[in-house]
Amino acid sequence: MIKINNLHKYFGELHVLKGIDLEVKQGDVTAIIGPSGSGKSTLLHCINKLEEPSQGHIYIDNEDIMAQDCDINAIRQKVGMVFQHFNLFPHKNVLENITLAPTLVKKVTKDEAEKTAYELLNKVGLSDKAFSYPSKLSGGQKQRIAIARALAMKPEVILFDEPTSALDPEMIKEVLDVMKDLAKEGMTMLIVTHEMGFAKNVANRLIFMDNGMVVEDTEPNLFFSAPKSDRAKEFLDKVLNK
Amino acid sequence: MDNYFLVLYNTFMKDERYMLIVNGLLFTLAVTILAALIGIILGVVLSLMTISDFRPFKNIKSERFAFLRDFNPFTKIALIYITVIRGTPTVVQLLILFNLVFIGVLEAPIFVVAVVGFGLNSAAYVAEIIRAGIQGLDKGQMEAARALGMSYGKAMQVIIIPQAIKKIMPALVSEFIVLFKETSVVGMIGGNDLTKAAREIAASSYRAAEPWLLAALIYLLLTTLFTYFMRKVEKRLKESD
Repeated sequence: MIKINNLHKYFGELHVLKGIDLEVKQGDVTAIIGPSGSGKSTLLHCINKLEEPSQGHIYIDNEDIMAQDCDINAIRQKVGMVFQHFNLFPHKNVLENITLAPTLVKKVTKDEAEKTAYELLNKVGLSDKAFSYPSKLSGGQKQRIAIARALAMKPEVILFDEPTSALDPEMIKEVLDVMKDLAKEGMTMLIVTHEMGFAKNVANRLIFMDNGMVVEDTEPNLFFSAPKSDRAKEFLDKVLNK
Repeated sequence: MDNYFLVLYNTFMKDERYMLIVNGLLFTLAVTILAALIGIILGVVLSLMTISDFRPFKNIKSERFAFLRDFNPFTKIALIYITVIRGTPTVVQLLILFNLVFIGVLEAPIFVVAVVGFGLNSAAYVAEIIRAGIQGLDKGQMEAARALGMSYGKAMQVIIIPQAIKKIMPALVSEFIVLFKETSVVGMIGGNDLTKAAREIAASSYRAAEPWLLAALIYLLLTTLFTYFMRKVEKRLKESD
């Protein structure tokens, strides 16, 4: 479903991604972990071209998104994204946040978009917040709305960029629970995260990145019980025995 | 005291001199409002040009022309325009427009020259205000909009500009007030505005103080009213945040 070949990304002189090869199948719940600066977020941003890849190929449903004639806006409708800092639209209420893209981009009727929005609000447990503005919500609520907003486009895959890193500890669970439900329903997900428990228990695949490269691509249980590389051992030692 | 009222009466009522004030004020207001409209519209266009990412030669292969890869003609044009307008006095611009462009080339009444002149001038300042407002927004807003499949234009229109406008309201109000007061130089090209009316009354009534004080009072009253009204609007806009 997503296929990445020899992806490189430079920021000026800085070589951030150094030849990533990765294939994601439908239904994969892939956790991407690694130290900060290892290129995890950049990789995610390249997949929907929020960052322009410098070299290599990315195919989404066999369509080369680096091709000149690729309609990236059409691709992005299939690839949802959830951000660390939520990025809800502060001048729109919750319902408008969710219905905006479906009505504007997918040309869904307002009634239909609102019906979907209420279903999604119900799913993330925030039906009573339809007319609230983002500034009135807690971090956990904002992130659940952001997930609902991504789901409203009915994407084939959702990219999560550290979805719980900006949350108070108490609010992390409510967001992870929503993500857990999505995983159970078979949604394809790529999750950059520092939540090792979540990576271990919910993901069915784990990618460990360091220094712009994929160091390990394995099953979560194997990774946590018997990491192969020294770099992964060192990383796990630091994050698990803090 | 009765004598002073007589003086005032003679100064402003004799020969219907107050009509100069009324007409002058109407001229000032009309020029300000129409120029502000031009300023806003052209200012938005200019600000979008300065922040655009239009690089027609970015795929150029030849190393000899490598410097062209980052060349953005829109940004260049807008920056030159803003530099020229902000770097020269409004009166001089107005005189150039009046003497070089409109006389001889285009025959137009003073009123039109004034509206166009002040509009072109205000646009440069408005453009910088809007640019600062847009660039001051969280980068995540554009990312979120684009990630949802919106085009750059749609994202600008629906997500970025509405938020930027809210943020830059106070600066825009300021610019409007500056524009309103700046129109007082229009007498230099023969426009009959509020300031010119005060000058004419002063000349024909031989009273120096009162006409100017009245003009100042009217400027002050209108700017105060406008500021008060815009504070209310700002407050309303804040509520939806």
